[in-house]
Amino acid sequence: MAIHSTLAISYASLSPIEPQSKPKPKPKTKLNPPPLSISTNRSSVDPVQVQHLFASCGHSCHRFPRTGPDGRVEPVELEKLRVALAHSFVVVSVLCKARFLEGEKEKGVLEYGFEDLFGDSDQRLVGFGRAVSDCGLTASIHDVVVIPSLRRRGIGQKIINRILRILTSRGIYDISALCTENERLFFKACGFGFDSLGSTTMMYTQSPGATTDNDGFTVTTSGRMQLLVPPPTHQLKLWKKD
Amino acid sequence: MCSLAAPRVCFRCHPCLSSSRFEVRNNKLLPPGVYLRLKRKPEKRLERWFLKAGFWDSIASSILKNNNATETMVPPSTLHEEEEGEEPIPDQLLLADRSLSDGTQEQIIFSLTGDVDVHALQDLCDKVGWPRRPLSKVAVSLKNSFLVATLYSITKSPEGDEERKQLIGMARATSDQAFNATIWDVIVDPSYQGQGLGKALVQKLTRALLQRDIGNISLFADSKVVDFYKNLGFEADPEGIKGMFWHLPF
Repeated sequence: MAIHSTLAISYASLSPIEPQSKPKPKPKTKLNPPPLSISTNRSSVDPVQVQHLFASCGHSCHRFPRTGPDGRVEPVELEKLRVALAHSFVVVSVLCKARFLEGEKEKGVLEYGFEDLFGDSDQRLVGFGRAVSDCGLTASIHDVVVIPSLRRRGIGQKIINRILRILTSRGIYDISALCTENERLFFKACGFGFDSLGSTTMMYTQSPGATTDNDGFTVTTSGRMQLLVPPPTHQLKLWKKD
Repeated sequence: MCSLAAPRVCFRCHPCLSSSRFEVRNNKLLPPGVYLRLKRKPEKRLERWFLKAGFWDSIASSILKNNNATETMVPPSTLHEEEEGEEPIPDQLLLADRSLSDGTQEQIIFSLTGDVDVHALQDLCDKVGWPRRPLSKVAVSLKNSFLVATLYSITKSPEGDEERKQLIGMARATSDQAFNATIWDVIVDPSYQGQGLGKALVQKLTRALLQRDIGNISLFADSKVVDFYKNLGFEADPEGIKGMFWHLPF
């Protein structure tokens, strides 16, 4: 009995699991989960990889995204993504070595070079999350995604926990997240709930109506939404206060 | 740490319910008389309005010279907005110029420069009944908010020697400057409510955000003001999108 347990321990120490957070393995699977690393370093985030991740998850940064004829969500604009990442207070990325992912080309033993063994060239972005904040009172979480093949392992929860840890360490406790019906359960499991003060979430959706006189009005697009831009008000009708 | 949790100060124009959880202890007391004036870096796209001493005087005098009626909405000749393409949003806009019953002249100025005195803001919050928040946190929030819109009232006595500048409204928006923005803390002095000032604040803020191509504009409205925002083009829970908030695990 003692010999068996010793063998088990030594095997565990040999497996290439990185010291940073490792997701819990699925109970029924025999395979070890791929080694993942979670990072809050902004410079380790490549906007192009983020764009590909969003595309593979069918995620759009627009709340009302435009879908193409094939039903796929249109890819997020790279320049806007760069700006968004630059102005996000917290950026969390989960990386995985490419050779552990399905669909990655298998490399022959002789093709491994110095970089493959010691560098980060084959790190793929498998999970992402970011938070926008005023660094004092409030914060909002956006764009939390994990690639489909690695879902339901607690990675998304780890991303949220990391974001929460950073925000609470800065004294920010008013943390919100806009979520669709599908995402609600996920956020609930992460400790989110509806507003205790009973506030209503509202979004600007004013579109130019058919009957509206559109002279002087400008319209901007956001995903598939056409949004009416409020006109400039030089003059304000203010009545005399008694 | 729980006692320092900032309340979700929604857009209420009515006094909110303050529970003991939101009783904030301001551990960092600022020395009396110290005003945290935060000058925001002006946006590159905004028209630069020079905030020098005497600016208020110059704008007031140029308007008052031409103004004979008691109540005029004078589009200032010095301010303009170009209509084509990328239009620069003026940092300051004269919204109203009127004479009050006691003979004083009052001007209401809308500004996007974000120059807010946190003590004046706290007084305004007290007037509407909002819970107090640590001034240092408020100051940091204002500094890091993408847009801060303010309404000031400038009253001049009939003799023209005394001038008083008072903060009567504010709204701010946080954003990642590309996709998402959230509007917080829309507040108007109770004695100035019901005149369309809150509407002007929110509309101008929305306009400024949309002109920068920021499409997801959201806010969390108190039940009493949901209709106010509905009239401004906001929709409650569009397509099932709801806001969820983190609950402290205590």
